Amino acid sequence: MSNYAIETRNLKIAYGKKEVIKGVNFKIPEKIVFALMGPSGCGKSTLLRSFNRLLDLNKDARVSGEALLFGQNIYGENVDVMSVRREIGMVFQYPNPFPHLTIYENIAIGLRLNKIVQGREELDSRIKWALEKASLLDEVEDRLDDYPSALSGGQKQRLVIARVLAMKPKVLLLDEPTANVDPVGTKNIENLLMELKKEYTIVLVTHEPAQASRISDYVGFLYLGELVESGPTARIFENPKHELTDRYVRGILA
Amino acid sequence: MKKVDSFKILTAPAVIFVFVLFAYMLFVYIYMSIPIFQWEGCGIYLTNIWHASEIPAEEYYGIAAAIWGSVYTSIIAVVIALPLALSYSIFVNDFAPPRIKNAVIVTSDVMAGLPTIIYGIWGAYVLVPFLRQWVMMPLYSTLSFIPLFSYPPVSGYSYLSAGVLLGIMVTPFASAIIREAYASIPHTYREAAYSLGLSRYEVTRIVAGMIRPAMVSGLLLAFGRAIGETVAVSLVIGNTFNMSISLFSPGYTISSLIANQFGNAFIYEHMTSALFAGGLALFVIGTAINMAGLLYLRRWKQNVKF
Repeated sequence: MSNYAIETRNLKIAYGKKEVIKGVNFKIPEKIVFALMGPSGCGKSTLLRSFNRLLDLNKDARVSGEALLFGQNIYGENVDVMSVRREIGMVFQYPNPFPHLTIYENIAIGLRLNKIVQGREELDSRIKWALEKASLLDEVEDRLDDYPSALSGGQKQRLVIARVLAMKPKVLLLDEPTANVDPVGTKNIENLLMELKKEYTIVLVTHEPAQASRISDYVGFLYLGELVESGPTARIFENPKHELTDRYVRGILA
Repeated sequence: MKKVDSFKILTAPAVIFVFVLFAYMLFVYIYMSIPIFQWEGCGIYLTNIWHASEIPAEEYYGIAAAIWGSVYTSIIAVVIALPLALSYSIFVNDFAPPRIKNAVIVTSDVMAGLPTIIYGIWGAYVLVPFLRQWVMMPLYSTLSFIPLFSYPPVSGYSYLSAGVLLGIMVTPFASAIIREAYASIPHTYREAAYSLGLSRYEVTRIVAGMIRPAMVSGLLLAFGRAIGETVAVSLVIGNTFNMSISLFSPGYTISSLIANQFGNAFIYEHMTSALFAGGLALFVIGTAINMAGLLYLRRWKQNVKF
């Protein structure tokens, strides 16, 4: 049994003939924030989507190598893709609570369809618990039957986090979760992530080195599909070994 | 000096013209219906009698059967068209390979534009005998104790034939609206649903839930087309002043009644007015359905924002 939450071994991803991830190897320890940073188009979102097999939705995408989730290769044979996804929660760049469902129903739907909870009472308490965890309960407690359109961008994003947490995943994947959120909302979400890492392993994709340095413990720098460098955040930012990393964290890499 | 906006001057008359035309049409229908209301009161809508006579005092017209037939066949049409249109939209967007997708879309759009008489003749020669042989007869012989199937399918010309034909005719319209709406749901919502560990079926159901307004619009459009359709229906419904819940019974619709009777209505004192009253009923039903739909859409838009 490995004590890494996620580990990749020579993971390669191609869209058709175009290879976008060119064999990456890294290990993400449990209960930390791991930031995956790099310029737009370097393959970070693609890589992130390979960790919960969301990449399967793209028919052109081909994955080779291994991605281990707590020691188990999720690209191995006889893997139940749906249960992998249930163990790994995902938050997206665009805050995407289901617009046609109420705040309550947004969280309830995953629990109901996956038959995770039984009965109204358990459902109610699980939803309250998830909202509390996502630091949203105080703001929406008296309007659970409102639609997400009544929420701000940052609140919507925390609703998405609550929807994910309700499933009690082991790992959280976040794909630039603050890209469409205002500064106050961003700060709230960053504080929330610092809180959540006590219990969950968090993999955060960001195109802002500053965000990576603020909240991550480990960081990986991805450039043109290759993992240039990875390691403890402080070390990478203060003493990068690779020239590309150095230029990127100083903000002079085009 | 205030600048004259030439764009406004050009477009305003067109807009005003549309409203005036609508009001004028409504006025004409009400005005032309007045004589029949004076003659027999609400009997025109509440009774099922069609008694034309050259002696005006003996004339009596009640179009309840036609109103019932219009509503009944349109409901059958919509009940058939909506599931078809929804499955079509899901198939076209999620399953069909690109070439088949294009072929299916073009076919459906062409079908929407075909002259309706083409459906009518096909319906009378192919659909009616087929339904009679393979649907009505078996159902009648086994389940005739159920009121819906209780009428002996003698000719096959019936509410069911008209409803099915209308369903086929209006499906392309509902499909076009639902298909576009389904395609326009951003991919991120699918990703969100899949990432919760849901199956393809469950994800599709969630996405379909997001296009409820399009389904309502599609339903309205389909119902509107169905209730207004004339030629094709009059070829397959049997044109009988019959009023029955039984699907296999022949009947009448308002539009087919007007189409059949208008030519010689001027011979009789009250018939033209009776037919205008029928038109007025169509007018009211159509407007009411659309208003209900618009109210629903407005409520949806207040709550649901992508």
